[in-house]
Amino acid sequence: MALPRAASRHRGSAPRERLAIASRIRAALTSRAAEWSRRRQGLDRFPVRIERRRLYILPSRAGLGFGALWLCMVLAGLNYANSVALLLAFSLGGFALVGMHHCHRNLQGLRLLSLTAAPAFAGEPGRIELLLENDANLDRHGITARIGDSHATLGTLAAGAAGRLVLTVPTARRGRLAVPPIRIATAFPFGLFTAWTWLHTDATVLVYPTARGALPPPLATSDRETGEHALAGGNDEWSGLRPFRDGDSPRQVAWKSYARGLPLVVKEYVGRSARTLVFDYAALAGLGTEARLEQLARWVVDAEARGQRYALRLPVAVIDEGRGAVHRHRCLEALALYA
Amino acid sequence: MRERWREAWPERERALRWVIAAFSAAVALHADRLPPWCLAAIAAIVLWRLFAAVASLALPRRLIRLGLGGSLLLAVVVQFSSLSGLAAGSALLAAMGAVKLLETRGRRDHYIVLGVSLFLMIAATLDRQGLARIGLYAAHLWLCCAALAIVGTPDARLPARTAFGLAGRTLAYALPLTVLLFLFFPRVQGQIWSLPAGNAAVTGLGDEMSPGSISQLSESEEPAFRVTFEGAPPPSTSLYWRGPVLHQFDGYTWRRELGRVYRSARLEYEGPEYRYRITLEPHRQRWWFALDLPVPPQQPGVFFTFDYQLVSAEPVSQAVSYELVSHIRYRSGDEASLLARRIDLQLPTGRNRRTLEWAQRERAAAGSDAAFVRRVLEFFRDGGFVYSLTPPLLDLDSVDDFLFRTRSGFCGHYASALATLMRAAGIPARVVTGYHGGEWNPIGQYLIVRQSEAHAWVEIWIDGRGWSRVDPTAVVAPDRLQRAALDRIAGAEGAADPLIAELDTLARIALTWDAINTWWKIRVLDFDLGSQLKLLRGLGFERPALRQLGWLVAGGLAAWLLVIALRFGRAPRAARGDALARGYRSLCARLAAAGIARAPQEGPLAYAARLARERPDLAARVLPVLERYALVRFGPRASDAQTRAVARELRSLRP
Repeated sequence: MALPRAASRHRGSAPRERLAIASRIRAALTSRAAEWSRRRQGLDRFPVRIERRRLYILPSRAGLGFGALWLCMVLAGLNYANSVALLLAFSLGGFALVGMHHCHRNLQGLRLLSLTAAPAFAGEPGRIELLLENDANLDRHGITARIGDSHATLGTLAAGAAGRLVLTVPTARRGRLAVPPIRIATAFPFGLFTAWTWLHTDATVLVYPTARGALPPPLATSDRETGEHALAGGNDEWSGLRPFRDGDSPRQVAWKSYARGLPLVVKEYVGRSARTLVFDYAALAGLGTEARLEQLARWVVDAEARGQRYALRLPVAVIDEGRGAVHRHRCLEALALYA
Repeated sequence: MRERWREAWPERERALRWVIAAFSAAVALHADRLPPWCLAAIAAIVLWRLFAAVASLALPRRLIRLGLGGSLLLAVVVQFSSLSGLAAGSALLAAMGAVKLLETRGRRDHYIVLGVSLFLMIAATLDRQGLARIGLYAAHLWLCCAALAIVGTPDARLPARTAFGLAGRTLAYALPLTVLLFLFFPRVQGQIWSLPAGNAAVTGLGDEMSPGSISQLSESEEPAFRVTFEGAPPPSTSLYWRGPVLHQFDGYTWRRELGRVYRSARLEYEGPEYRYRITLEPHRQRWWFALDLPVPPQQPGVFFTFDYQLVSAEPVSQAVSYELVSHIRYRSGDEASLLARRIDLQLPTGRNRRTLEWAQRERAAAGSDAAFVRRVLEFFRDGGFVYSLTPPLLDLDSVDDFLFRTRSGFCGHYASALATLMRAAGIPARVVTGYHGGEWNPIGQYLIVRQSEAHAWVEIWIDGRGWSRVDPTAVVAPDRLQRAALDRIAGAEGAADPLIAELDTLARIALTWDAINTWWKIRVLDFDLGSQLKLLRGLGFERPALRQLGWLVAGGLAAWLLVIALRFGRAPRAARGDALARGYRSLCARLAAAGIARAPQEGPLAYAARLARERPDLAARVLPVLERYALVRFGPRASDAQTRAVARELRSLRP
């Protein structure tokens, strides 16, 4: 299934000066509305179908302007007893009202399948992916999801198709960041009305501590259990082959032997750097808690990037030595959630 | 070429293309009214904007735009010497919309230009509502609505077809509401405010008459007004349509009396009454025409003057329609007031001396007023007078010149001469201008009165009878009043006119078109509060009132909203899969009824294998179909024909 993908855009790019107060008032009103809808409709469990009772609709700013214009037209028609002007103005009025129903229907019955939030380092935007499905027999257009300043739009979601909307949330502190209420809206077809719904999930973005700190990593120590096995480049000695284990880097795999039909094996080297690094919270005395966690995160990221094996020791937990994306995530998660 | 244009056009400016199309169409609606420089300026700006979009040029700076807007504003002020008139306002709106195009960046600007386009359309309807233009307005409305769809949902990249389809369907759903509101939305009586009307010259009767200055009477076939009678129309010789009454004469020109008013005696109407409705073309003057002589109408904004004219408070700047009652016979009192005598006996001193002498001599010889009138009419009939639409010009003593030298003229000459003679003989006389006759439209059952039927006659005061009509033209050229063909040859403007007379089908088409237009005018354009109340009465309301209109609008609106909500408010039906899936599902259902249901985890081939084991009786027919289904569904892409064939098989197979 090919997923039409919409790029995420940031609103701040248009340098339109607005009154800060006005935008603050708007933000406050929006969050009030979100809270109100949360109390009203409760927490959402995926998959969510957008039902009528959670779907709201109001004239957009363009719609208000259109309304004012329409009023002028009707007044002109009435004042000059001009039947043609009245006919045209009444047509436009009906047109807008039918458009309102089109707008409402464009969201009604839409299915929200899932929401995935990727972990992010504090300070970097967290990426949230929303999966939508249109199982109705009509095409839907112009569906926008928004969190704060981040929004993404699906141009067309054909009947029977699924689509993906990618949003970002700003992260400031490590820990679990609750995904704010997501506003899913449409102005289709004429932009005169906006229909929207609030999506309240208990999903969280795991925010790692910022990888920061200039201290040199601790000296590598020999590990009792597995010996001095680690990957390194350069002039390390080749020590032998061992069976493939989860977490091994594809670069270490002996592809040539695999191509000859032999089982998957990994080349091992022994060298000066082929020892396990142990990152110990306690060893960083003299720094504050957050600074220690940031420094540890820095070391974890660097060690993983160099392909070294590493272990993490925190006062509350010990993560044994290892390597690879899963290991890295376990370490960073422990740092993120350290209390 | 088209492809190249597509390529040249940046995709992000797609909405702009539609906005420009809608705006250009709006300006085109005003093309006949905007001054040429204004059209040229707008066209140049639009081309500039198009070029900037194609070539990705920067838009002009703020200062340039302000300068451009300012100079266009100045040009409009210079051209129209005001900004409040309809033509000036439209020109200004169009020019400012064009300047706005030069700063269209975002959606907001697009909406603004679309709003300008819609408002230009309304401005165009204010003074031009002919049936022929309705199609243009409707097409423009459709275009604007489609452009709204493109601008409103830019990410969807709706194709033009979809946008037009969407807008068209939406407008179609709005149609019942449009009709409902049109019929029942309470109309306002009278204007709350008014735009000064333009001073464009419109053919018609002026408020003065100088027969001597006209050497060729234009015979315009433009309609002046149309009349629908309730019941039988009066005899055609009595069709005098009364207009401005002229009292003041300086020897050359007749003018209306301004300022002085004399009290007229009570009117006594005699004979049958005629009820009729007149639909008057705009003539930018304040008078209304009526069959001589109307009963004063009880209508606000219209006055019945001392000399029996109908004068409206506002100039007739768009077609108006009114109902009147007239009697063709009446008496207007026994004795003329002193002021009336002074006004209607007034003659310029030292002018038209021969006429004055002749009149006094003949009056003395005749012995009575009535005999004198007869004498004058005989003089006109037997004195070698000729009715001509191309009379020679007259000198300043116009009546002398006409009576004793040229003896050739049209109704205005005769009326002027007769009134002068009467006044010279001491009989109060005034000139009445208007129309006479009319062409009966058998298709629409109404009378068309054209500009070529403009007429002038004289009213004289006869003690004991009051004001009486004397029409000297009837004596000189009785044919003229019977609408002889002769009338329309000389100086006729439309070369097509004799053709119409000859070619029956063409005449029929012309009359039919006129009839449709008249229906449109009376039924649609002149639909007002009175018509609404009449409609209510027709619907069975005993005492029609505004409140009932309100209830009808509210009820109708609610009903329409309910229908629309039922149509669009329900959640869209979930798709039930394609034909193939439906066919497969139905076959599985039939097989389940036959006792061997498909397990939820079974694919078609596994199911088929189990069928072959458990129900060999069915397998022979069902198996190949299931296999073909699996091939079409999961195999390499099958053609549509193959898919349809398998779907049909699935549907029709009865185990």
